[in-house]
Amino acid sequence: MFFYYSQMTKTTKTILLSALIALVAGCSGSDGEGQGEQSAYQSVDTVPMLIMQIQKCSRLYTTEMKIHKIVTHDDVVKLQGQLLKQNIDIKLPMGDRKVAIPIDATLKAYIDFSDFSERNIERTTDGKITILLPDPKVELTSSKVNQQEIRSFVGIVRSRFTDEEMTRYEQQGREAIIQSIPRLGIVDMAKASAARTLIPMVKQMGYREENITIAYRKDFKPFDIRKFLEVRSEK
Amino acid sequence: MANKERNNLELLVKALMLVAIIIFLWWLLIAEKDNHVSVEVDDGINITPEQIQSIRDIGQWEFLSISNEELVDTVRKGLFSDDQLVRIYYGTLRLGIDLSKTKKNWISAHGDTVVVKLPKVGLLDKEFIDETRTKAFYESGRWTARDREALYRKARRQMLSHALTKQNLKTAEANAEDHVRQMMKTMGFNNITVTFEK
Repeated sequence: MFFYYSQMTKTTKTILLSALIALVAGCSGSDGEGQGEQSAYQSVDTVPMLIMQIQKCSRLYTTEMKIHKIVTHDDVVKLQGQLLKQNIDIKLPMGDRKVAIPIDATLKAYIDFSDFSERNIERTTDGKITILLPDPKVELTSSKVNQQEIRSFVGIVRSRFTDEEMTRYEQQGREAIIQSIPRLGIVDMAKASAARTLIPMVKQMGYREENITIAYRKDFKPFDIRKFLEVRSEK
Repeated sequence: MANKERNNLELLVKALMLVAIIIFLWWLLIAEKDNHVSVEVDDGINITPEQIQSIRDIGQWEFLSISNEELVDTVRKGLFSDDQLVRIYYGTLRLGIDLSKTKKNWISAHGDTVVVKLPKVGLLDKEFIDETRTKAFYESGRWTARDREALYRKARRQMLSHALTKQNLKTAEANAEDHVRQMMKTMGFNNITVTFEK
């Protein structure tokens, strides 16, 4: 290498040296934090905690609903297909598996106060106040699988339910609960509940109860506006 | 003569059989393209109802949300090999104030001055793990409901130790103060004092 280096022209040497210096500078001087870590040889155990996301917010949870659901799954093995233009659908003997998983979930409805501003307040000179709130939103805040109460039946030629299969059924159960939210009527309950929470607060601020109105403003999303425009154009 | 006729008849039968075999094989080859047999297993859950167990009014004001993912494992030592169960749990710890803990006259207003005394910022709900979101990462050996329950409790402990820190409580308190102050300003107060119970 030194032989080749001595044979190089002055310009080539200069370029090579500059590139080497730039490379060293880039590796060592990216930021002070990285340098500190290298010199101290500190190792951080990141395995137990994968991700932690912290978010500032302002949500007033007004209604809590506890839901119970038994997720069931019938696992029947069938031989299906087509042979000599004949459809085949044969249930294999002793191949059934069944599982029932009881799930308890908590749904909470909240009013998002993150964008609460003067636009949400309407005051009149005669001492009346109207608070315009966005529509409540619902969130599945927690869920618990009753592990002790899980019941499963496995056919003689089948293997037991694996942890992966069980968690997959539990996830499907969770999705089914989320899908059922519009039918549960929690949003309407949350609206009334928010009024019951906020009116005493506003009363303490010096307003008379009969002068306080809690109203709801629908947050129009682009999809809603498109729907509205479509209806208008049809008319 | 009769022999010749019989030979001709045999020949005709053989030719017809050959044609029939050729037709059958041709049909079989054509049909072969559509032949397929597989073992099918239904992977979906059945439709079951959701039962509402309870509904209640709450007044929990959340100011900091900490979403957590925890990788939790358990190992059982065996004679020849070890059994292992590894799962990823998900949970969201919500820090804020519980309005049911407010004392009488926690908001006192005089003219354009308001004094708000809020309860201590804390964990709003002790149940914060969404166990139905859990992902099975690795499983070897046989594990019981009790083992899974223990794993859940371990995940819960880990989430609490990682998320319920003094720093996060302080951040939640600062955010609570900002939002309450902003809200009171919106309500028309100019002199606002926000304090927290000790």
